[in-house]
Amino acid sequence: MAFTTMTGQAFFVLTALAGGPRHGYGIVGEVDELSQGRVRLKIGSLYGVLDRLAADGLIEADREETRDGRLRRYYRITSDGRQALAEEAELRTATARVAQAKLGLLGGTLG
Amino acid sequence: MSGGLEQRYRRVLRVLPSYYRERWEEDMVTAFLESSLTGDPEEDEFITEYGKPSLPEIASVAGLAVRLYLGGAGAPRRYFAWGQATRWAVLVVLLEHAVRALAGLVFLAWAHRLLGWLPVPPARVLATQSGTGIWPTVWYAVGYAWIVAYLALVLGYRRTAQVIAVLAIAPDLIYLLQSQFGIGQVPRLVPWAIGPWAMWILIDLIPVLAMAAFHRDAPPVERRPWLRALPVTFLLVAVPLLAVEFTGHDGWVPGAPGLFCVLVAVACLVHAPRARSRATSGIWSLTLILLAADTGLLRILTLGIYPHDPRMIWTGLAELAVMVAAAAVVAPDVRGLSSRGSRGVAGAGDRARRLREPILAKIHPRPPDDAPALETAAGKNYSGLDQLRQHAPRTPVPHRDRGN
Repeated sequence: MAFTTMTGQAFFVLTALAGGPRHGYGIVGEVDELSQGRVRLKIGSLYGVLDRLAADGLIEADREETRDGRLRRYYRITSDGRQALAEEAELRTATARVAQAKLGLLGGTLG
Repeated sequence: MSGGLEQRYRRVLRVLPSYYRERWEEDMVTAFLESSLTGDPEEDEFITEYGKPSLPEIASVAGLAVRLYLGGAGAPRRYFAWGQATRWAVLVVLLEHAVRALAGLVFLAWAHRLLGWLPVPPARVLATQSGTGIWPTVWYAVGYAWIVAYLALVLGYRRTAQVIAVLAIAPDLIYLLQSQFGIGQVPRLVPWAIGPWAMWILIDLIPVLAMAAFHRDAPPVERRPWLRALPVTFLLVAVPLLAVEFTGHDGWVPGAPGLFCVLVAVACLVHAPRARSRATSGIWSLTLILLAADTGLLRILTLGIYPHDPRMIWTGLAELAVMVAAAAVVAPDVRGLSSRGSRGVAGAGDRARRLREPILAKIHPRPPDDAPALETAAGKNYSGLDQLRQHAPRTPVPHRDRGN
């Protein structure tokens, strides 16, 4: 039984985009920072995730910029993406709270 | 500027389908090159010229390629058809393993007199089935694991199914290696014995590898028909075979490769009227062609088992010919599969347009009367979860694809 509705990678990518539009490498760096180096996205994996999120309407293209002769495409989170991320964050927070309570880390009892 | 690293990465990206590369290649190359550079001009120049994509980077592209070629819901029709046909072919092979395991369990119960209403099995058959020592025990245990693997796959526990299947094929590999190199107390294979290896590769390894088609985008397996298939196949195939064996007529039953040829041929002939009417999506026909290809190769590679028995070789060739002829009946249904309307879900083309349209609109502003249409399209697609579900490609596969 799955407790979450999205993969860890998708969760981090959406979280990265929640801070503002980013291009591919920008997302890789942001995810690395957000996860404190635990999630290092490979480019093939990143574009697999972006393709899925775009298909689900959770992200969309924002703009294109040219830098050093290369085209950078930026992506942004959609309103559905924000909602999905908020729901996922709530779910993960609740799950973490349950785990912490079970471990006696919250100093209270589990209700 | 295009350096050696970029060229090498582009070569890696060639494994991706062209429709996907057309959309994402430039983006992927830019992101990859940026992720490869260090900020030190001298080092970056060296990396740009002589660097190579790392193995994990190549593996991530290969994984993406598998997911795209064996497409799930939302993939272009051709890739969806290949993906679905592969998934169904894997289910069929696992069903065969599971039915064999079920037959083993039934036999075990019978041999231990747990099925009191059946006559006592003949001593001749009991003698051939009983084994002592570690390998027979492991084999029987592994055989039963196929039932769990099949049920796990049908019920949507694909990781569990994959792990069990990998464990299930391991003992045969160990046995083959022992036989090939004369290790332990197992009968030694002749050098370069192709037949036993072909059996393991085509019936065990390839289906287990092909389980990669059950990825996150794959539509869920339709439980009811596939769950019913287990007892139905057991009754229609395993029970008659057991009956033939117990009545002492097992000489009539061909060996495993020949039997698979006959079963695939029968399946093709049963499906032929629907295939010829072109009333189906064509995916079942493609599934049967895939099974026929695998079985045909197995039949050819195992003919060498009978080097001094021309009669068995001719029989094997006849089994192969019957299956090829039956497969040829359904083969025309596979032609034009990509152009047939087999799905009612948003395709990858729609996905790409959603991503590209806002950018294209900025780069090439449209006349004012086009602008509202673009805005409306974007707004409609992303205006709410219900709308999202309407357009999201990962919806269950329409009924038409399921049972034909």
